[in-house]
Amino acid sequence: MDFNYDDNQRMLFDMVDRFLTDKHDLVKREALLKDPAAEAALWREMAELGLMGAAFPEEVGGFAGSSADSFVVMERFGRHLVTQPYLYTAVIGGRLLIEGLSGDARQDAIGPVIAGERQLALAAGSTHMLRSAEDTSFTAAADGAGWTISGRMPVVLNGDRADRLIVAARTSGSTGEREGVTLFLVDADAQGVSRRSFRMIDAFGAAEVVLENVAVGGENVLGPVDGGVALVELALDHGVAAVCAEAIGAMEYLIPATAEYTRTRIQYGAPLAKFQVLQHRMADMYIQTQTAKSMALVAAMSLDGDAVERQRMISAAKVQVARSGKYVGYQAVQLHGGMGVSEELDIGHHYIRLNVINQLFGDSSFHLARFGALARPVAA
Amino acid sequence: MDLSIDDKVQALRQEIRAFFAKNLPPEFARKTLAGDKLTKEEHKQWHALLREKGWHVPLWPKEHGGPGWGPMERFIWEEESGMAGAPRLNHVSQDLLGPVLIEFGTPEQKAELLPRILSSEDWWCQGFSEPQAGSDLANLQMRAVRDGDDYIVTGTKLWTSYAHVANKIFCLVRTSTDGPKQAGISFLLIDMEQPGVTVSPIYTLGGMLSVNEVQIDEVRVPVTNLVGREGGAWDITKFLLGNERLMGAWIGVNMAFARQVRERLEQVGPDGRKRSENAVLAQRVAEVETDLVALRYTTYRVLADELSGKAPGPEVSVIKVRGGEIMQNLTELLMEMAEAEGMVHPLTMPHDGLPVVPFELEHMAQQFFDKRKLTIYGGSSEIQRNIIARRLLNV
Repeated sequence: MDFNYDDNQRMLFDMVDRFLTDKHDLVKREALLKDPAAEAALWREMAELGLMGAAFPEEVGGFAGSSADSFVVMERFGRHLVTQPYLYTAVIGGRLLIEGLSGDARQDAIGPVIAGERQLALAAGSTHMLRSAEDTSFTAAADGAGWTISGRMPVVLNGDRADRLIVAARTSGSTGEREGVTLFLVDADAQGVSRRSFRMIDAFGAAEVVLENVAVGGENVLGPVDGGVALVELALDHGVAAVCAEAIGAMEYLIPATAEYTRTRIQYGAPLAKFQVLQHRMADMYIQTQTAKSMALVAAMSLDGDAVERQRMISAAKVQVARSGKYVGYQAVQLHGGMGVSEELDIGHHYIRLNVINQLFGDSSFHLARFGALARPVAA
Repeated sequence: MDLSIDDKVQALRQEIRAFFAKNLPPEFARKTLAGDKLTKEEHKQWHALLREKGWHVPLWPKEHGGPGWGPMERFIWEEESGMAGAPRLNHVSQDLLGPVLIEFGTPEQKAELLPRILSSEDWWCQGFSEPQAGSDLANLQMRAVRDGDDYIVTGTKLWTSYAHVANKIFCLVRTSTDGPKQAGISFLLIDMEQPGVTVSPIYTLGGMLSVNEVQIDEVRVPVTNLVGREGGAWDITKFLLGNERLMGAWIGVNMAFARQVRERLEQVGPDGRKRSENAVLAQRVAEVETDLVALRYTTYRVLADELSGKAPGPEVSVIKVRGGEIMQNLTELLMEMAEAEGMVHPLTMPHDGLPVVPFELEHMAQQFFDKRKLTIYGGSSEIQRNIIARRLLNV
C-alpha cells in the first residue's frame, strides 16, 4: 500500500503548483472573471503544460499513468481556488469521450481537448447538480440516419464556454428509467442551440441551454443508444474523485491559514489562538481533513478497478469529504470573524466552493443511499 | 403554568395580520422572503404606509409618536413582520437610536432628531466595531479630543451596516484613556455629509453590499452631539442592545424560512417524486422545525419572565446562539433543495426574456452565505458561550 505520489505525480504536482503560484490568486482570478480573452489564454497555457493530457491515458494521446493523476491537478486547483473548467472539460467530458467513442472518431474528438482548443460540458437535462441522467428533460427522436434533439436545461455547468455539449436525451422509455437515455455530442454553435451565460455562486461559468430541433448525425452518438445512463454514472464517479481532491486542497490550505490568523489577531489582550475552545476547533478541522484525505485518495485509486467497488468507495468518499469540507470551511469562516465573510479574503471563497462541492454529482443523501444499496460486509 | 396568550395580544396579532394582508405590497413581501433587497425608495413607501397606521416606530412610547407597546406586543409585531415578509425599514434609526434618544437625549436632541427619524428623513448607522475591536468592543480606538465646544474625532469603524445609505452615524468614541477601558467611551452623534468622513463598501460572500468601512479624519463634532455624559456610553450601549435582545431569535423570519422549507419539501422534485420521500431530507427538515418550536417557546419563556418583573439576564445568549444556528440550517436546506437553480450568482443572471431560474430560487445561495454573519456579529457564538459559562455557571 502506498498513499503517496509517485515520481511522475510529484513532478506534476510541482509543475502545477509553480504555475498556479505564479498565475493565479484571488486578485488575478477577479481580473480573469471579467476578461474572457485572458481566461482563454490561461486555458491554452494550461494545455501547453500538459494538464489536459493528465486526464487521458496514453492510448488516446494523453500522459496519464492512471486516473489518479487528475487527483494531483485537482488538489492544486482546490488550493489555489481555480475556477477554470478542467473538471467539466477534461475529467467528466474527457471520460465520456474515452468511453463513448472508439477509433478515429475518438482521436478526432479528444485531440483538440488535450490541445486546449476545445471545451466540453455535460448537459444531463435536469435541475440537480449533475447527479444522474435518467431524469433528463431533453428528448431525441430518430430522423433518418440521425437524430433531432429538443429540450431546455436551466443550469449547464461550463455551458458558457463549451464548444461541444454532451447532451443526455431520452430516446425511449419514460423519465426515471435507466434504459432509454442516449448521449449526443452536439456542436454548441449548431442550428437550434441557444445559450444564455451567467456564473454560479462559486464563480464557475454556466449557461442556460435550449435545444430546438437540433439535428445531429448518427456518428455523434456517444456509447450505446439507450445505454447512456451507465456511461454518465462512470464519468460522474470520475467527477466525484476530482472534487474530493479539490476539497482536500482547499481544506489543507484553510487549516494553517486559520491557525495563522488566530495567532496574530489580538482580542481581550491575547491572541485568539490562546483560547482553548478555538484550539480544539482547529484540532477538529485537522481530524476532519485527515479522514477526508484518506477517502479522497481511496476514491482516486478506485477509479480504474472493479465497478461495484469503485461505486462504493466513491460514494463513501463523497459523503466523508462533503461533511468534512463543510465543517472545515464553516469553522475557517467563523474563526476569521468578519474577515471570513468578506469577499476580500480567499477564506470565504473556499467555503463557497466547498458547499458547491457538497451539492455536486449527488449530495450526501444520494451517496449514502447508493453506498447502502451496494453494501457488503466491511471485512470483505 | 399557562401557554395561552391573552386576548388583547391575540387581537393585536390578528389586526397586524389583517393590516399586512391589505397593505403590504406583494412585491415587497416577495422580495423580502426571497432574500432580495428593497431599494431606499421602496423602504420609504412602506414607511409611509406604516405611518398612516401609527406603526412606523414600533418600539417608541405614545408621547413620541409610537404605539406605546409593551414587550409582548413588540414581540408579536416582530413575529408577524417576519412571517409576512414585511421589510425592516431604517431599523438602526427607529429601533436602536430612537429609544436611546428618548431615554438619554437632551430636550434639544429629542426636539431636533426624533421628528427627522419619524419622517424617515434621517438614516442613521451604528459605528461600534473597529479593526481592533470586534468581540472585544471595549478595545475601541476612535479618538474624540475636546477642543473648545467641539470634539475632534479620528478613527475607523468597520462592518458598519447601511453606512452607504445613511446620512448620519452614532459612534462609540474614546474620550479618555485613563481608568477602566469601558469608562473612557462616549456616545457621539456625527453628521456623515461633511469632509473627513469616508465610506468604503465591503462586499461580503455572494456579492452582498450591506457593510462598510467608515473612516473619520479630524472631523469637528459639537459637544452638544454627546448623548448622555462623557464616558457614559457603556450603559447606553447596554440599553441599546437590550432593546433588541430577543431579536436574535429571529422567530418570525425563521418561521417564514421554515414555511418555505416545508413547502419545498412537499413539492415534486426533478426526479418526479415528492422530496419528502427522501427520508434523510425529511428528517433534517423535521429536526430543524422542532428546533424552531423549542426556540420559539424559549423566547416566550424569557419574555414571560420579563413581563412578570424578572430582570432580563444572560439567558438571552441561549436565544442568540440558537436563533443564528437555526437560520443557518433553514437557509442551507432552502439552498440545497433549490439544487442547481439555487446555486447561481444572482448578480450575474441575464435579464432578457424569461428568467433562467425562478425568482424565488435566485437568491438562495447568496442568502445562505450571507447568514454566516449571524454567529459572528453582535457578540459571536463563542462570546455568548463565554457569557453563559461565566455568568450562569460560575466557571
